[in-house]
Amino acid sequence: MEGLVIRDLSKIYYGIYTGQDVAAIEDVSLEIGKGEFVAILGPSGCGKTTLLNMVAGFIPPTQGEILLNGRRIQGPGPDRGVVFQSFALFPWKTVMDNVAFGLKMRGVSKEERERVAREYVALVGLEGFEYRYPHELSGGMQQRVGVARVLANKPDLLLMDEPFASVDAQTRMTLQEELTRIWEDRQPTILFVTHDVEEAVFLANRVVVLSPRPGRVRETVEVSLRRPRTWQRLIEDLEYKGLVARVLGLVRTPVS
Amino acid sequence: MRRPLLPALRRLLTHSVVQGAGPFALLVLLWTLVAALEIYPRNFFPGPLEVLRAFAGLVYKGVLPTYLQDSVTRLAVGAGVGVLVGIPLGLLIGLHPASYRFFWPLIIFFQAIGDIAWLPILLIWFGFTLTTMTFIIVYTVIFPMIFNAALGVRTVPMEMIRAAQSLGATRWRILGEVIIPGALPNIITGLRTGLGYGWRALIAAEIIVGTSGIGFMMFDARRSGSVVEMILGMIVLGVLWYLVDAGMLRPAERATIERWGLVRQAP
Ligand SMILES: Nc1ncnc2c1ncn2[C@@H]1O[C@H](COP(=O)(O)OP(=O)(O)OP(=O)(O)O)[C@@H](O)[C@H]1O
Ligand SMILES: [Mg+2]
Repeated sequence: MEGLVIRDLSKIYYGIYTGQDVAAIEDVSLEIGKGEFVAILGPSGCGKTTLLNMVAGFIPPTQGEILLNGRRIQGPGPDRGVVFQSFALFPWKTVMDNVAFGLKMRGVSKEERERVAREYVALVGLEGFEYRYPHELSGGMQQRVGVARVLANKPDLLLMDEPFASVDAQTRMTLQEELTRIWEDRQPTILFVTHDVEEAVFLANRVVVLSPRPGRVRETVEVSLRRPRTWQRLIEDLEYKGLVARVLGLVRTPVS
Repeated sequence: MRRPLLPALRRLLTHSVVQGAGPFALLVLLWTLVAALEIYPRNFFPGPLEVLRAFAGLVYKGVLPTYLQDSVTRLAVGAGVGVLVGIPLGLLIGLHPASYRFFWPLIIFFQAIGDIAWLPILLIWFGFTLTTMTFIIVYTVIFPMIFNAALGVRTVPMEMIRAAQSLGATRWRILGEVIIPGALPNIITGLRTGLGYGWRALIAAEIIVGTSGIGFMMFDARRSGSVVEMILGMIVLGVLWYLVDAGMLRPAERATIERWGLVRQAP
């Protein structure tokens, strides 16, 4: 099948200092079709990052399997682009060179790299900042580079771990709108991790709510809000408000 | 008429060469003063002028340029080997757990022996030769470089390496594009510390082993009781190191780790 399939996934950490096992994720099964935008929502410490890291191939699962387009995930690869909460840009590379990094690793010619990088820098609204270094940019601008860097590499799946959590509220709303616009234009497949209910409902087509640790899939909520979505419209939208209230209820009620 | 002079004066005063010379001017002034008071006999505590005269004399005779060249060449050779071996070894230890387990105990063991402790056996094996001196310098330079390069590897954030991996970088590309630039602040610290130690070890080696070089000149001056030449030697050491710092290390820092925002700019 095209897309991502997660089957009976569990992760148990062994604490070397405590000598105790910690179950972070338990029996999570999930399918994400090509072109879908799915948000994973859950309280702090419920294993969201753990789940994402397993899909990215950074850590091995304890049990279960993950398939992308029918192939089993063995380790990190350019078919899955990751946007980090901490941006993880390369400080010694300019905006252009950060965005062109994946292409360079694939051996794309210099002219082609330059052309594609310029296109994606423009897509995230950073024209005029091509030759700046990351430390010369604001947090919001840095994460735009982070997004452009993975988009330019055209991955089959975009993994985003609370990418907008460390910017101010105003910038966050702008970035959310920009990401929505990019998805509406190009329909990349996105797995987006967050603990922000409004963010999840605003962005995604489907919100998967996890239980507190060990994280299990508690419920899946379809979000069929009309697109294009903007904050200006949704903030007053009754359907949006209703969905937020419902998801919030799911997150807050204790597991029976 | 006074107004246009002021900015020019300020520009002169803030010029980097003038600013760099400022502290030294004060030092020389103090020295002149103490020497002029003649608390001590002149040939026991000579002033700047005597030293300058000795400088001119030694340059004229060609002794100082030759000695300087000998010392600098030895340092350059020692430092070169230290950089070529120490930094890769440090990176290897930082990156490769099995190498760490193998090399670390050996490195700690040999670090304890120190450069001067090698001298007796080196003099038996190689005599009063360049080999002995090169060994001493390489030995001193290499440890700070190994330790700092190894530490630098570990300071590279895990997420940066993961970002590179999921952008399709192979292990070797990650080394060149992420690990080495990320470790650069520590590598430069290692270079600075290593070269500084090396410079000191060289002078010590020249004093004991030498037949030429700045260290030899200073020790030789003891026989003729020439305090002037000793002070001259000390000044040469300081000036040379200052030039290495201002001409090589600082520009390298400015162009890399300061430009990239890895460290704040030096004032
Ligand atoms: N390397 C590790 N070793 C041991 N335990 C770990 C490790 N990483 C995470 N854990 C534990 O696993 C659980 C899930 O962690 P994870 O980082 O996946 O949570 P999260 O949902 O991303 O939280 P947050 O919203 O705060 O980012 C936590 O209880 C954490 O303490
Ligand atoms: Mg997390």
